[in-house]
Amino acid sequence: MAKSSIRKISRRTVLKRSAIAVAACAAGVGGGSFWLGRRKRNSTHLGKKVIVIGFDGMDPQLARRMMDAGELPNLAKLRQGGGFRQLGTSIPPQSPVAWANFINGAGPGSHGIFDFIHRHPSEQCAPFFSAAETVSGKGYWDVGDYRLQLNFWPFNHKLPATLLRRQGVPFWDYLDEAGIPSTFYDLPSNYPPSPSQHGNHRCLSGMGTPDMLGTYGTYQHFAEDGPQGTVNEGGGKRTQLIFQQETAKAHLVGPENQFLKESTPTSVEFLVHRDRQANAAVIEVQGRKILLESGSWSPWIRLDFNLSTPAFVPDETAHGICRFYLQEVAPNFRLYVTPINIDPSDPAIQMAEPDSFVQDISDRLGLFYTAGFQEDHKALSNGVFSDDEFVRQAGMVLEERLALLDYALQDYEDGLLFFYFSSTDLQSHMLWWNNNDKHPTRSESEAKKYFGNIRQLYQRLDGVVGDLLARYGNRATLFVMSDHGFANFGRQFNLNSYLRYHGYLGRPECTSLFRDVDWSQTAAYGLGINGLYLNLKGRERDGIIEPGDQQEAILQELTQRLESVRDVNGQQVIHHVHRTDKAYSGSATALAPDLVVGYCRGYRASWATCLGDLTDEILLDNDSAWSADHCADVAEVPGVLFSNRTIDMANPALVDLAPSILNEFGLPIPSSMEGKNIF
Amino acid sequence: MDILVQIVTCLNRTANALGRYLLAPIGWLPGWFSMTIVSAMTGVLLLVVFKYTSNQKAIRRVRDKIKAHLLEMKLFKESAAVTLRAQGRVFLSVSRLLSLSIVPMCVMLVPVCLLMAQLALWYQSRPLRVGEGAVITLKLGGCGESSWPNVIFETNPAADVVVGPVRVQRKREICWHVRARQAGYHQIRFQVDHETTEKELAVGDHYMRLARKRPSWNWLETLLHPSEKPFPPDAAVQSIEIDYPDRASYISGTDWWVVYWFVISMVAAWCFRPWLHVSI
Ligand SMILES: [Zn+2]
Repeated sequence: MAKSSIRKISRRTVLKRSAIAVAACAAGVGGGSFWLGRRKRNSTHLGKKVIVIGFDGMDPQLARRMMDAGELPNLAKLRQGGGFRQLGTSIPPQSPVAWANFINGAGPGSHGIFDFIHRHPSEQCAPFFSAAETVSGKGYWDVGDYRLQLNFWPFNHKLPATLLRRQGVPFWDYLDEAGIPSTFYDLPSNYPPSPSQHGNHRCLSGMGTPDMLGTYGTYQHFAEDGPQGTVNEGGGKRTQLIFQQETAKAHLVGPENQFLKESTPTSVEFLVHRDRQANAAVIEVQGRKILLESGSWSPWIRLDFNLSTPAFVPDETAHGICRFYLQEVAPNFRLYVTPINIDPSDPAIQMAEPDSFVQDISDRLGLFYTAGFQEDHKALSNGVFSDDEFVRQAGMVLEERLALLDYALQDYEDGLLFFYFSSTDLQSHMLWWNNNDKHPTRSESEAKKYFGNIRQLYQRLDGVVGDLLARYGNRATLFVMSDHGFANFGRQFNLNSYLRYHGYLGRPECTSLFRDVDWSQTAAYGLGINGLYLNLKGRERDGIIEPGDQQEAILQELTQRLESVRDVNGQQVIHHVHRTDKAYSGSATALAPDLVVGYCRGYRASWATCLGDLTDEILLDNDSAWSADHCADVAEVPGVLFSNRTIDMANPALVDLAPSILNEFGLPIPSSMEGKNIF
Repeated sequence: MDILVQIVTCLNRTANALGRYLLAPIGWLPGWFSMTIVSAMTGVLLLVVFKYTSNQKAIRRVRDKIKAHLLEMKLFKESAAVTLRAQGRVFLSVSRLLSLSIVPMCVMLVPVCLLMAQLALWYQSRPLRVGEGAVITLKLGGCGESSWPNVIFETNPAADVVVGPVRVQRKREICWHVRARQAGYHQIRFQVDHETTEKELAVGDHYMRLARKRPSWNWLETLLHPSEKPFPPDAAVQSIEIDYPDRASYISGTDWWVVYWFVISMVAAWCFRPWLHVSI
């Protein structure tokens, strides 16, 4: 492996040198400026190095406590040098919003991402994922059961496409234009990856990248005690296995075959042979045998999904990868299969800029998780994983990430390097619990034990920072940052039930925004985790609130009422309600909610209300293994910012990082950015 | 069928003896280079065989006839009757040309099959690298109800057992997942009740002549896996297979080598045709 990397680097160096020599000759004959085209070579960065490490969700309170206790020596060293601040997060502090703030150096008004979920007002609250949208194609050729879309003459059909919904100019575009190389690994809020105009920018998409089923991660679980047929549960599919002579047959569900008029999912058949005596099994899939002992994981396995086409067109194949985990052989055989990830060595969709970037990585590292969400929190929430199994799987994700970081550093020469860790976020969602209150699913001692994993994780990542400091010292400007912090999530608030109770949402007996709500009786509704929308006339299809005075009055009333909500023990539930007409500025506010509800630590929007469902109670205990969160108020869950340079700004925020990075490279701060230089 | 297996085994013995030495340079040449040389040489060799096993005079006569009919079609393209008749004759002549190649094809069939089986030993899979794992499957003889012999994978310095033995009841198979430890050719041994059975294991990171399967007593399997002796029909073990990794290359890699071999040998035969005065 090391050998090939050396070869690669030296080849790159040789190519670079040849390019310089050729450029010099061309300049000598006066023709260089013509055929070097738009690629600007005289950049101002002069080998400058800036490294940004994103620890999603690293919390300043815990980091501070651990630094004080001497448990994070490397981060403490940065703090000692004046390089530590709490980092202001976004309104609301949700990862897609926060990372878009980082990317644009400006708030949601500039990038148009306000929550995980947005709604189409013209379709009266029809929800969709905010980060990317799939638009259907136009025109097709009808052939029997098939519908062929051909995007060439004379057909010129428009193929369906997934579009990045983030608006505004990402800060790397300025680096790209200035000829400064930038490389991003697992960047959130950038799927599909935005294109590089000048070829100086590379990016592997992170959070938001789908699996082969087009979801944010769907595991498949096969068990003898599973349901008959296949049952979908949020984030997974369960299927019953029936053994005959210790052999069972099952199917792994793959991507939909879009060539068919009635698009149906493809699948791959596999056989499971169980040996009770050996406490192991043989899995046979597509001519390959995999031997697994109980409790063991397979390596990544390539799967070819056949997409049938009309007889005169050769069939297409979509490549996916998965890992098998044999949980139990007997008496209840249980087999977990990871979500079918896109094969990085032959990706079925564009997940990197340039396209070939992910294949370059795969050439060296082999196969790895490519979906945006890699730690399988859904498997834990749905009881497919035990706590320990989740810890182990999350550990495997971290190991892959560390191998990727190793690759990133070997491949890095100068310019900007951004590297993202999801572990601090997704492990915290499932394992964080930092007080003695009753944990949603664990005993007090268990809650303490698993929270210990988060402390260990922080220590491990402190080691990563230590390695970077040892490697680069002051030869690189280092930013270690998180997009938000963390808090327990013990109680959930059903905003829609609250609105119904106070007469803002009708009918009094309604149970869902998408089933039985009466819009003529509804003044306001909640959708997504923090968004509250007025049913505004002229904007929402069935709006009833008059813009102007009535709108203003209801906004004031709701703000005041929500901020005064108290729990049964008298505790404040909502820290602050933000009016977006005041909090957001920019041209991308068309889909913004009217109010953003900022919860106090310990509280969050209820699971039901996020998707428009109402419950009898307004305040309930959280009973999910997803026991910590950050979708609170901006003031409640700030992130962290560490640097090996002294930070002068007293209260930096996410929007200040892009301007600071541009400033490091000697570039001016664009007027579209809200942030300032922190140094 | 017995006799067929014996014939194939006998042919394999010769093919192995020749293949082992004549193809040995593949082991130290770059894959694309050895594949190109081998393909070009087989193309020329097959051309020579074709020359001496076909009726060259008859072929030339038929080809001249085809040319004449084509000319006829060109000259009398206004006359539908003449054109149609000429087309029919071209068709007949082409069929005649094909029938003239039946004899040489039959002569070449067996050596080509043997050669391809020899080439597959080099190109179809790559050997295990040190530290790499693979699944070994031992298939037992007998039917579903017969009892299972006691099978032991003998410890050896070449490979460690990571998982196994795992029994696949339905197929009467026993599987092991092994990890290669030492480069080179090794004999791995299995104790099946009181008998010892062997299978070769190849470990290394260059091109090696390797047998995926020690075949069962079946002529086709024996033809496809020529390197090791087939198990006798009454043996407790029917076959042993090592799941070697695929070799990724469009020239000398798994499955693709056949396509490359075919194209290059055809091109070579076509190019050498005038020199060797062969009509195809
Ligand atoms: Zn999160």
